[in-house]
Amino acid sequence: MAGKKEVTVVTYRGIFQEVEEARGMYSDGYRDQSAILDLDGGDAKALGVEAGKPVLLENDSGKVVVVAKVSEDPHPGVAFMPASPWSAQLLSGEVREGGLLELKRFRADVSPAEGAVTSIEEIRERIGAP
Amino acid sequence: MAFCTGCSLLCDDIEVDFEGAKVKKTLNLCRKGRAHYDSLVVDRLAPAVDGSEVGIDEAASKAAELLGGAEKPLLFGWGNSTLAAQGAGVRLAKKLGSVIDDPSSYSQGLITEKILKGELPSCTFDDVRNFADVSIFWGDDPSSSHPRHLSRFSYFPRGEKRQRGYEEDREAIVVDVRKSPTAQIAADGFFKIPPGGDAEFAEALMATLGGKIPKVEDKKRMLNLGTKLRKAKFGVIFTGLGLAHSRGGDLGPFFTLVAKLNELARFSVIPTLGDYNTRGFNQTLFDETGSVNSVSFGGGVEHGPEFGIAKYLDICDAVMVVGSDPAAVLPAPLAKKLSEIPMVAVASQRTLTTDAAKVTIPIGVAGLEAEGSALRSDGVKVDFDAAVESGYLSDVEVIERITEAV
Repeated sequence: MAGKKEVTVVTYRGIFQEVEEARGMYSDGYRDQSAILDLDGGDAKALGVEAGKPVLLENDSGKVVVVAKVSEDPHPGVAFMPASPWSAQLLSGEVREGGLLELKRFRADVSPAEGAVTSIEEIRERIGAP
Repeated sequence: MAFCTGCSLLCDDIEVDFEGAKVKKTLNLCRKGRAHYDSLVVDRLAPAVDGSEVGIDEAASKAAELLGGAEKPLLFGWGNSTLAAQGAGVRLAKKLGSVIDDPSSYSQGLITEKILKGELPSCTFDDVRNFADVSIFWGDDPSSSHPRHLSRFSYFPRGEKRQRGYEEDREAIVVDVRKSPTAQIAADGFFKIPPGGDAEFAEALMATLGGKIPKVEDKKRMLNLGTKLRKAKFGVIFTGLGLAHSRGGDLGPFFTLVAKLNELARFSVIPTLGDYNTRGFNQTLFDETGSVNSVSFGGGVEHGPEFGIAKYLDICDAVMVVGSDPAAVLPAPLAKKLSEIPMVAVASQRTLTTDAAKVTIPIGVAGLEAEGSALRSDGVKVDFDAAVESGYLSDVEVIERITEAV
């Protein structure tokens, strides 16, 4: 049964994403290595999400559609996502004491999606870059 | 030999053959380094004003006009700039009376500043290769971000006092929220913590080292770790963003743990820094002002979080971004603010930031198309030549042109 679940998303840098970034952040390869969410197997099952299918991630800061991956290791309630313009859409921009920004973690609802993966061009428009 | 500026290891044993600007054959480059070299023919930036291509002189002149006419300009980036360009950037900031900052203000700046102040013990990668018997990777996955870290320095190689390498002489311990590629190499040395659980892990380890029973599920494993660390002859902790961002950047328990470890054995800290010359910028600014980031030259020298990009975007009226892509990294509300401010972008490749800029100025890729110097993330200076000819100006040439025109 498809549903919605709140998860803690932790971002990371992946080697394949770094490679594709060097080859151009407007490339399909960069999108394919960035717009992904590693879900816990149990969470994916509860959500009715299969690996390779789109999921919607949303919170008060924004929303993006990315592709689900299902981890072999269990991490219920926690999902992992490459740090990228896609994950940045879900970050609040709140500045903590000392000036540090929260860039590594956020809470978001995840649910199955039908639409296409959010494109880098759409993100560029959202942040107002012409 | 050529150099690689793809990350802050600054590998100096690269062999490369070019056909024009395109790489034909290479030796010793990691996957990321090869992509860095391949980027020479990808999405190169052109000089432009308001989206229309112009000559480089006009672009530099417009940049100077934009920055010189501003009341509160911000100069940001610098991690992918040579030492010479960073020095020129600080001089430009002084001339403008502006704020200057880099991404370390929202990443590992605090750790680097403590090292530069002598408040946190550190060492070089060469010391690590020759002497380290325990390498701890905390919130850090260099197998992904710095692919030759483990093979050149921290785990696999044989060194002066570590002739049997990882097979017998070295131990890798990984503290992380996920089983990263580095954690997979460490195998039994992987300690999984919950997101934000770094302080609790540090406190449990402190208790263990103090002879107390740690308040963790697997007490035996934590006690074994404590014994290993007590017996270490030369320990090193490599820190990543996972640690720097845990608990809103409160690194107090980590610093206390490092002090405790050093009562029992020798333990050093080396931050794993993303851009190839982040350490260089931090050192350059520190030498000039005593701070590694978030400095204002508006009235004397001032330092504080209010001069970090996250807060200064609220009040600045012009930005120059050099060798960085904050629009891709910053939370969307801040990226939007950045896009609304008149901006000069100095870069080699097209990015979200250059797309948002009013003025773009292309530069050659340092170490590949332009000579220069940089500091590895352990602070060792590396001088590099260009590996291939190009028609691009170097970063320092562009910054100096703008400075002259201001």
